[in-house]
Amino acid sequence: MKSIRFLSLTASLLAASIAWAEPAKEELDACCQAEVDSAPFTQLSLYQLDATYTSDSGQTVSLGDFRGRPVVVTMFFASCGYACPLLVSDMTKIKEFLPAEIRDDVALVLVSFDVERDTPEALHQYKSDRMLDDQWILLHGNDDAVSELAALLGVKYKLENNGMYSHSNLITVLNSEGEIVHQRGGLKGGLEETARAIVGVVNQE
Amino acid sequence: MSPQFRLGAPRWSLLGAIVLALTLGGVARGNTAGMTFVSAGVYAPLFTGPEDPDEIPVPSFFIDTQPVTNGDYLTFVQANPQWRRSQVSPIFADESYLKHWAGDLELGRLAPADSPIVHVSWFTARAYARWLGKRLPTTAEWERTAAVGYDGPDGKNDVELSGDIYRWFASPTLAVIPTANNARPNYLGVKGLFGYIWEWVADFSTSMVTGESRGDSGLDRDLFCSAGSVGAKETNDYAAFMRMALRSSLKANNNTSSLGFRCARDAD
Repeated sequence: MKSIRFLSLTASLLAASIAWAEPAKEELDACCQAEVDSAPFTQLSLYQLDATYTSDSGQTVSLGDFRGRPVVVTMFFASCGYACPLLVSDMTKIKEFLPAEIRDDVALVLVSFDVERDTPEALHQYKSDRMLDDQWILLHGNDDAVSELAALLGVKYKLENNGMYSHSNLITVLNSEGEIVHQRGGLKGGLEETARAIVGVVNQE
Repeated sequence: MSPQFRLGAPRWSLLGAIVLALTLGGVARGNTAGMTFVSAGVYAPLFTGPEDPDEIPVPSFFIDTQPVTNGDYLTFVQANPQWRRSQVSPIFADESYLKHWAGDLELGRLAPADSPIVHVSWFTARAYARWLGKRLPTTAEWERTAAVGYDGPDGKNDVELSGDIYRWFASPTLAVIPTANNARPNYLGVKGLFGYIWEWVADFSTSMVTGESRGDSGLDRDLFCSAGSVGAKETNDYAAFMRMALRSSLKANNNTSSLGFRCARDAD
């Protein structure tokens, strides 16, 4: 009897944890995934990459899961003390520049090239430390996945001896098909232009 | 029933299972035919910051004894239609991908089956390596392989070797690249590291070179430059500079008339 009760408790805990982990995924599904899922990716789509990542909420994600909505993607590493916090706040500003009606449709994606330290748990911590809401998706991938994405985005990065990375500062806008439509390099200005590129993506659809 | 008897039969089958597992494991780890074992060693990076070590350790690995050939690559695209010239995505390979071939599945006279493959991008080279369960060598692995001489483990003072390298730099890229079958092997037995083509490495995008650029004649002018040598230690290792400059100027979907690759794999 005792063991049955224990079992059912475990089962409900399991169910609860699954339910807890689900919402973000449902959000993606709720958008337009079902209708476009079957069509092949376009020739210029980054979603042709078949690598999978683990999100800050522990889900397995492939980039193609973002299909159907505009994406702002930046490569970073969590222990970065200089440029990365700026890039994150720049992405927040880009969102604020968007018209209210599309502001919540954009996926804000951060992909870490620090595959050792930025585990999904560490990214989860970073997300709550910086008070980023669920519009943000932080991704952990293996070396292969990260170098492949970096190559496609044109991000160069290198682990220095002091444990920090030298890297390009690049914010990229993808359209709903995962094609690069805009890139903002450096750390100064250009945010309104990036926001306009996102508006352009939404208007085209 | 004696315990010995009961244990006897399972013990044999256990041994059989271990033998089988080892055999299968060996197969799964892959074939190292055509590859050369390179023992653990060190690589001295060309550009180092003030806190960086002068040498970084390189674990042992296997590397292809010769560059991948047109014939090898043809087998790959036959088996993987998405990597054929007519079908490859432009984000993975630009418009000059395999442009020296006569057709999608036809080598033609500019691409002898035995000659090193060129006009391939980092993405396509990587896809080829993965298809064989291999990978591209890292810069450290490639440079470690190329740092040996013809007759000894240190190529730095090998006059014959450096003479051959500079002769190659001074000569223009040939329209038809000859086979590396007859190349003089280095001390490790590896052939064609220079004299034929330049080669992709897995981490080419970490070669961040800034500084002045100078024009040069032997290379595809749009893509390569020979960079200034600020911060470098081995200022006389011109060949390594050239490779560094090349890597830092490439994009992952570029394909050029003198850039090919060879594969590597972990030793354990």
